[in-house]
Amino acid sequence: MPGPRALLGLGLLVAAARAGGRCRERGWSWNRGWERDRCLPRRAMHSPGTARPGPAGLRFLGQEEAQAIDQELFTEYGFSVEQLMELAGLSCATAIAKVGVLGGRRGSWHCGLSCTSASSKAYPPSSFTTSQPAVLVVCGPGNNGGDGLVCARHLKMFVSLLGYQPTVYYPKRPSKPLFEGLTTQCKKMDIPFLPEFPAEAEFIDELYGLVVDAIFGFSFTGAVREPFGSILSTLERVTVPIASIDIPSGWDVEKGKADGLQPDMLISLTAPKKAAMHFTGRYHFLGGRFVPPALQEKYALNLPAYPGTDCVLQLT
Amino acid sequence: GPRRPPARSPRAPKSLPGVERGPGCARGLGTALSPVLSGACPQGSRAEAEAMEKELLEDYRFGRQQLIEIWGHACAVAVTKAFPLPSLPRRQPTLLVACGPAQNGAIGLVCARHLRSFDYEPTIFYPKRSPDPLHRDFTTQCEKMDIPFLSYLPTEVQLINDAYNAVVDAVLGAEGTEGTAGTEPCAAILATLRLVRIPIVSLDVPSGWAAGPGGSGDISPDVLVSLAAPKEVARRFQGRRHFLAGRFVPEELQRKFGISPREYPGSDCVVAL
Repeated sequence: MPGPRALLGLGLLVAAARAGGRCRERGWSWNRGWERDRCLPRRAMHSPGTARPGPAGLRFLGQEEAQAIDQELFTEYGFSVEQLMELAGLSCATAIAKVGVLGGRRGSWHCGLSCTSASSKAYPPSSFTTSQPAVLVVCGPGNNGGDGLVCARHLKMFVSLLGYQPTVYYPKRPSKPLFEGLTTQCKKMDIPFLPEFPAEAEFIDELYGLVVDAIFGFSFTGAVREPFGSILSTLERVTVPIASIDIPSGWDVEKGKADGLQPDMLISLTAPKKAAMHFTGRYHFLGGRFVPPALQEKYALNLPAYPGTDCVLQLT
Repeated sequence: GPRRPPARSPRAPKSLPGVERGPGCARGLGTALSPVLSGACPQGSRAEAEAMEKELLEDYRFGRQQLIEIWGHACAVAVTKAFPLPSLPRRQPTLLVACGPAQNGAIGLVCARHLRSFDYEPTIFYPKRSPDPLHRDFTTQCEKMDIPFLSYLPTEVQLINDAYNAVVDAVLGAEGTEGTAGTEPCAAILATLRLVRIPIVSLDVPSGWAAGPGGSGDISPDVLVSLAAPKEVARRFQGRRHFLAGRFVPEELQRKFGISPREYPGSDCVVAL
């Protein structure tokens, strides 16, 4: 497996300047605009290994419940996978954009410091160079992968906002029009698809500022087929932040996985699953703003109100 | 954007407010010759809109339901920007969404559903339902969101003025031609919309306008949400707010169709022109 430099020479991978300095405490910093020593402090109430409760009353779903709600959205409420996937992927990209943008533009929710640099954009278009930070979106073989494809496309549209160029790795593609369509949309928007997965965690750390984990979702039952076993082992060793879509891949949907992936961000779709109670990353968002009120009531989801027209809600 | 379209000299290239087109526009020449430059379809024309949609569906492999979802969602976001919840005059955040029988109506249905999730209270008037299974699904989704469907539209306009804060016009859009604008039930809807005193938000093209200038017979929307790119008839728009829902258009298509790139605020899918 060639090293990252050789792959760059082949033009297969997007060069990635490290986005900002490494945060001493956490090992990374998303925001290029921050000075080297400044890092986003961990919020005092969180400590590794502590299960974190959500807002009062918010329910965390079991796997069967999550599957039942999903089915009901399609059979009773008339939604199509295509529609909900579009809204889910948009939520994921929006959550990433919210965290990845310089704090001053979005208010100081994620830093205890007062951010007064609201006037300066994090990534003005004039700062585009070929050595732009890149996001690696790893898409699995099912719907979670589809969510990742939609997320990648929206990240591409947010490039001037976020400054990250998405790259996709999509090794197992269902031959269904939905997934073929989403793949084509990405390719036609010049989102590169890697032919091979970086063999070493260090290569990923060097080339990407963020990894989006769109491998397995709430239907995961523990059977990990290759190449995903190897991919997950590698991802477990990366130090750049990982944002997982719905469920950190490889985790039991209800019990989590203590020695598994430790993402820094989780975007729960529709409602959080029980696994989310074991999430110890910094950012937990709720997305997938499409649950009809009647369905929310039926399952007593107790979803907090989304702000305004936002398609994401920050839970922690 | 400008309130009135800029005056055009007779030989100036066709150009929409805010769209820069120099002579021999260099943009887009890297790829296939722009359909606009090749004269195949004038910018903002219905032919051009159809060409772009075709390319999105066939080359980019967007799904039609996906596109309608994207457009409907964007229209709803625009409505909330034009009429923020706290600004509504009535105690209840009611909106009337008038949906025609074709794609513009389907976009209206999706728009209504998102408005409902944004805590507005839309009511839909959808007299001539499309048999298209796709549109039927959109209808089901709205019904299941507990959005009421009116069985008839009151001809007494005051009832509409009193009950709703604004009307979303998703009746004909760009599909309106001289034939359809005059047929029922669209003709009756338009006749009523011409008389309402509450603001109208038109989706893509004010209904009835595509049939050609009707002078004082046209509806006068307060807000226009252009999809992908402003249409030619948008030049006649003199309302308060004009939004563009075009963030979803891939850059290559924007270049190809001569759509000038715009800066969208944050992660918003619409921008005020």
